Amino acid sequence: MEHIIQGMSIKEVLSTIRGTDGYFITNTASDLSQSDFKNRILLHTDLLAAPAREKAKYLSLEITGGASIHVDILRKQVDPFLKLKLLREKMPNTMFQTLCRGVNLFGYRPYPQNVIRQTVREFAKYVDVWRVFDFLNYIPNMQAVFEEVQAAGKILEPSICFSTGPEHTNDYYLSKVAEILAVTGEDILLCIKNHGGLGTPKRIGSLVEAIKGKFPDLVIHYHGHNTDGNDVGRITAAVLNGAEIIDAADHAFTGYYGPPPILTVIDTLKDYGKNPATVDVEAVIETSEVLRNEREHYDYFESQFKGFSPTVQIHKLPGGAMGSSFEQAVKGGFLDQMPHILHEELPKVQIELGNWWSVTPGSQIIWTTAVSNVLGGERYGNPSGDLKNLLLGKYGPFPFYQPADWIYEKVFGSDWQDILAREGGKEDIEDIDLEQERASLTKRLGTEPTEQQLVLYLQHPNDAVDFFKFEEEFGHVHVLPPSVFLRRGGYEVGETIHFKDHYGKEHIIEIGPKQLDENEGKWNIYLNVDHQQRIYSFQEESSAAAAAKVPEISGKEIAELAQAGDMRAPFSANVCDIKVEEGQLVKAGDTLLIMEAMKMQTPVNSEVDGTVGKIFAELGQSLKAGGKLLQIEIK
Amino acid sequence: MQTTSDLEQCGSRPLRRISSPPLITTVEIKKTCGINSANNLSIKRYPIVKKKILIANRGEIALRIIRAVQELGYTAAAIYEKPDNEALHIRAADEAVCIGDGPRVDYLNIDKVIATAQKVGACAIHPGYGFLAENPAFAKACEDAGLTFIGPASEVIENLGNKVIAREIMAKANIPMVPGTSNLTAGEAGTAEAVEFGRKYGYPIMLKATSGGGGRGIRRIETEAELVESIPLARSEAKAAFNDDRVYLEKVVLTPKHVEVQIIADKWGTVLHLGTRDCSIQRRNQKLVEIAPSLIKDQKLLDTICQTAVVAARAANYTNAGTVEFLVDREMNLYFMEINTRVQVEHTVSEMITGIDIVRTQIKLAMGKKLSFSQDDVQLRGHAIEMRINAEDPQNNFMPEGGKTVSVYRSPGGYGVRLDGFVYQGYKIPEVYDSLLVKLTVHGYSWNETVDRMRRCLHNFVIAGPKTTIPFYQNLVNDQDFQNGQFDTSYLETHDHLFEYTDQRTEVNKIARLIAEIHFRQENPYAI
Repeated sequence: MEHIIQGMSIKEVLSTIRGTDGYFITNTASDLSQSDFKNRILLHTDLLAAPAREKAKYLSLEITGGASIHVDILRKQVDPFLKLKLLREKMPNTMFQTLCRGVNLFGYRPYPQNVIRQTVREFAKYVDVWRVFDFLNYIPNMQAVFEEVQAAGKILEPSICFSTGPEHTNDYYLSKVAEILAVTGEDILLCIKNHGGLGTPKRIGSLVEAIKGKFPDLVIHYHGHNTDGNDVGRITAAVLNGAEIIDAADHAFTGYYGPPPILTVIDTLKDYGKNPATVDVEAVIETSEVLRNEREHYDYFESQFKGFSPTVQIHKLPGGAMGSSFEQAVKGGFLDQMPHILHEELPKVQIELGNWWSVTPGSQIIWTTAVSNVLGGERYGNPSGDLKNLLLGKYGPFPFYQPADWIYEKVFGSDWQDILAREGGKEDIEDIDLEQERASLTKRLGTEPTEQQLVLYLQHPNDAVDFFKFEEEFGHVHVLPPSVFLRRGGYEVGETIHFKDHYGKEHIIEIGPKQLDENEGKWNIYLNVDHQQRIYSFQEESSAAAAAKVPEISGKEIAELAQAGDMRAPFSANVCDIKVEEGQLVKAGDTLLIMEAMKMQTPVNSEVDGTVGKIFAELGQSLKAGGKLLQIEIK
Repeated sequence: MQTTSDLEQCGSRPLRRISSPPLITTVEIKKTCGINSANNLSIKRYPIVKKKILIANRGEIALRIIRAVQELGYTAAAIYEKPDNEALHIRAADEAVCIGDGPRVDYLNIDKVIATAQKVGACAIHPGYGFLAENPAFAKACEDAGLTFIGPASEVIENLGNKVIAREIMAKANIPMVPGTSNLTAGEAGTAEAVEFGRKYGYPIMLKATSGGGGRGIRRIETEAELVESIPLARSEAKAAFNDDRVYLEKVVLTPKHVEVQIIADKWGTVLHLGTRDCSIQRRNQKLVEIAPSLIKDQKLLDTICQTAVVAARAANYTNAGTVEFLVDREMNLYFMEINTRVQVEHTVSEMITGIDIVRTQIKLAMGKKLSFSQDDVQLRGHAIEMRINAEDPQNNFMPEGGKTVSVYRSPGGYGVRLDGFVYQGYKIPEVYDSLLVKLTVHGYSWNETVDRMRRCLHNFVIAGPKTTIPFYQNLVNDQDFQNGQFDTSYLETHDHLFEYTDQRTEVNKIARLIAEIHFRQENPYAI
């Protein structure tokens, strides 16, 4: 049996799979990181595992895409392209796989066509298998990505998102598969994307059987999550009914919400007479031996709540959103409300909004709406901009039914029908002027950006610029292991940190004492860097601590101040766009700024007519509720 | 007035009894300013162990002199102003006296410096460069106080410091000078003289106020019409500014090389040169990079330059170490500029190629010693480059970076490398003095080897805290024209790319900053 390696064409890959008796495995490392470690598994760790993973001969390693690109630049401070380049050096044969949200790419809302195409083209240089989905299963939303992946000669894997409920019949899914094939042709892998780990093994088996029955030559890749602890059961049913590829992960890092352990899948299927086509079990074990020692350093990012969550069948949150949901509940101080949110409000909202697929960005819309419904006291009383866009059909048509009129009325007011008639429907987002974007990035960086920098900037403008500046200031930090990069509580005095920098030079840093310089009110940190003493000074109070001291003011006070033209942040959020300039005339209702929290954007509108005075808010700034945004001088 | 001293080798003129100095001597000092009482003019005896020399300077040159003094077996006494109380020269000297709160006041206070020298029992003062080094009043005050001034006689400093007198001396000795007029005659006659000068030598021309200086009272004239128009204006401006309306003209030498000759002369009539230096790489008349010898290929011309310098020094009755500066234009014409009557910042390059310790020689000559070698003994070997590593931001118009702390100082070493500096890790650079941190001088057999060595040294030189000229020099050593020795005083203006460089911090220092921040915040703020 020929091993499938990077560089093979889709036809070679398909004929190899079809000509093989066993099934294939995708190591879903990225989804594991997303689901069980808040996406924080560092490149350093993936590089450690790379040689053993290469030896294991997976069909592919899912190592990029989804939220990981954003987290790479936002929290791991690593260039997503550099990551792929470095991994490729250690893994010359294994195909790399990504997860792409179609028109939403790797972000949370639709991008212009030219941005989508530019991004896919750039990433396709490094990524072999493209799993593409849309949270409304609206095939046109994926079309541009399909075309670019196929044009780049890469392996296209369109997905049907899977969920449960009376609308989610085999017939419905068969119609979606047919729709996809009509667009892509038959040279694809088809993914059944079970991001919530929903349904029973029997249900999954029946779906696979139905698809195989109608499209016998179609290669099926089953993707699931182990949130209820039963994904091995679903995988088993999928393979026994004809699925050729399944997703699983290295057992040293498996948790509660991500993929199940590879070895468990292999052992289970073996008793049914099914064996993996190529996977080297010794190398699978070796990978986990390498990884085992690293896990403790990620402890902080594991779920605060141990144990499987079989109630996922009720709330349907995708595995990738479980950890972050609990994290938000802890940070937002509403942990006690979680059972109510998860088991009552969330399922209710899910049904009310159309019972489509709870996956990015739809899952965020359902989640923030449910949270806001519970915490705000008034259901749909404080709709996010993204919820409005959803209701207006900006993401695509509702697959089964449109939400009830009362929701529209609640969200848009009594003239909701006019608004829907005027603004409703999916419209093509106009192409942006890439050269203009390049010029503005050049201005912000002070140098001409690379094509890859431009692509990252187009995805997440402010975060990308912050990352480029971080890299300029702190260098290539992926060389630091999690024990150093993610250390909490500071280092031990006398501790030595050895590392090889990005350019291959060995260094040693010894931690020295920390002293308070009382005259200057600053802390001096002494380090011995390559045998030279260095002193780093920091202000006594961290800016984060200072920001936290800003007294939070109530929603009522914020609303009252807005009436006086004193615009405050309505909730803790980042300033993601400033729409006005100082001196500009505005009317009540004009959008002043866009705030972003929990990945959802909400416009802040003027309550008064007047002139924009001083703008306090800065692009990308993180503000607490009540933080000053800008002043409007009332006429 | 000359006071006699029984201290051997420590007079301002040769003593007859030359023998090895006794271990313990006494020195008689005449009080010129009252330290104990205002009208105390009596002679006191201070027992001292070794002859003592006061260093009336700070920074790297103070250290340079202290080293020479100590090598000679003498005691080095330092002075300092308060802002310098962390300075290394205080630590390196055998003793140090704080002479005031400064800044740049007490180092310039002739009475204070002389009184301090007397108080500590010094028999000689080395003025270094800058501050009082070329102030004839200071040299005179030393002479009057019976202190040996390590430099030429005060009247020589006075004469050479006066542009007009200096020009007269050089004219008499037939030293080639930039064509110029004497003071223009008042009124129409003066304008006629000027027009005639312009027709003879061509434009551009510099119109200079006789009492001006330091760049003030100078205007560049491009045409005859402009000249005629400018003379009355320049006169009235000069009158207003200097209360002296005399003006004169000088031809402009376009894009010259700055070539200078190191001179040493004893009090017995011997004047020697230590070869040429090229100091063309300057910004706004401040030298940045100096090399020895000049890379002019015409050896005959170089010999002429050196001989001319010796003649000029003789004409000025020069003693001790000095520098005769010339301009060499594109046609290889030579023009005398001035004689600097002090040790130069860039003396190191001449030392490297001759092996002669100029500061040590200065001290010995000041004490009346004869030069112990002849011109034939002076052999030039190889090439040397000095780069002034300043706490300045070349990308921001060389803005000084004073007030910052040197958080890392890692210097290069090895064969052919010399450092004359005074900063150390943890040193806070005072804002009130000049920005020179260290002079990096390298020596090599060939020019290429020397440039390669300099490149290596710059690569290994790590200074963190203030921005420095290091990254600018790193570009310089990689520049084709510099490597080919093709540069004149227009070099910086015509080589913009030298200013294009990015962050000089190394990867490890960047990462160390992050580790320090994680340690301080108890978590990684960029990963949370």
